Amino acid sequence: MWANAQKPGLHFSSLMTDDTKFIARGLKQRDPELLDLLIEQYQFRLFRYLLHLTGSRERAEDFFQETWVRVLERGSQYDGRWKFEAWLFTIARNLVLDWHRRKKPESFESLRGPEEDAAAFDVHDEKSATPLESVLSNEQREGVQASLTKIPVVYREVLVLRFQEEMQLEEIAVVLNTPVSTVKSRLYRGLEALRGAMSGGAA
Amino acid sequence: MNQNPHIRATQLIAQQRVEGISSEEQSWLAAHLDECETCSAVQAQTAQALNAFRGMKIELPKNLAARTQLRVRLRAEELPAHNPGRVLLWAIAGISWLLGLASAPLVWRGFEWAGTELGLPKIIWQVGVALWWLVPGMVATGTVLLQKWARTNVTE
Repeated sequence: MWANAQKPGLHFSSLMTDDTKFIARGLKQRDPELLDLLIEQYQFRLFRYLLHLTGSRERAEDFFQETWVRVLERGSQYDGRWKFEAWLFTIARNLVLDWHRRKKPESFESLRGPEEDAAAFDVHDEKSATPLESVLSNEQREGVQASLTKIPVVYREVLVLRFQEEMQLEEIAVVLNTPVSTVKSRLYRGLEALRGAMSGGAA
Repeated sequence: MNQNPHIRATQLIAQQRVEGISSEEQSWLAAHLDECETCSAVQAQTAQALNAFRGMKIELPKNLAARTQLRVRLRAEELPAHNPGRVLLWAIAGISWLLGLASAPLVWRGFEWAGTELGLPKIIWQVGVALWWLVPGMVATGTVLLQKWARTNVTE
């Protein structure tokens, strides 16, 4: 079946959404061909998500690789009930949270409860370069980049999952391990912040 | 429902993007936007902001997928094999061991008889019995170790 996926004309993306059970079986068997294809297929989306989450290209790259190693190691835990990307992003997110917990243990709790503190979860390293600086294309730097850096990462995260990944609210809730109501609340705030930031106001 | 039409419109503009709105709400919103410039501007700003956000270009690091694939494959080599066939192998080995245990008295008597018939010293046929048990295990262990050694060399 997997061999068919590589044939020209058959769209892998449709296979991804239709056959999560197949992916689950392949991951259980640690099928190297499957993993190679998944890495190829999800490289842009996962990297983009990690970039928004970490605010650093180098860290995003490290977490990208680490995420796939985890996928290999814990592939047997994926049961195909949710879309693969939801599980993938959950792993990536947990890795970032673990790193953040190790880095700033005192701020971890506020990180998990951003509704109480909208300015929390700023994972930017103060000493590092401006997030996304080297990533965005030149023509966008002035606008989108500057605007996005004004938005707290908790909101950026849900904005990415909803409006770039086009995930359902329930799927986002799974990735974030949080109630749907919280997801909605973050999305409303995030959207407001995005609109404000893009139009030059404060986020 | 919010009584202020402008606040309601702003809420619906966001709600439409986040969780969707009913057809009645859509109609109301469309009618309001037709006559309210301020709310129309909010709608346009929201659409513009989301378009810019969605269309954001991100450059992938060079060879990111290839480097990750290599790292994952190397890690896979380190992990214990996740081979369902191995379970069967262990089951066969277990059954073989049980049969061997059950047939031990017969093997012992067989070697004893052969040793006596050939006039061999007791120690010789006893060593024969020991080898009868040990050689298959030693060959199996040797094969597994050889496979591991070969895998390590390929990885390096």
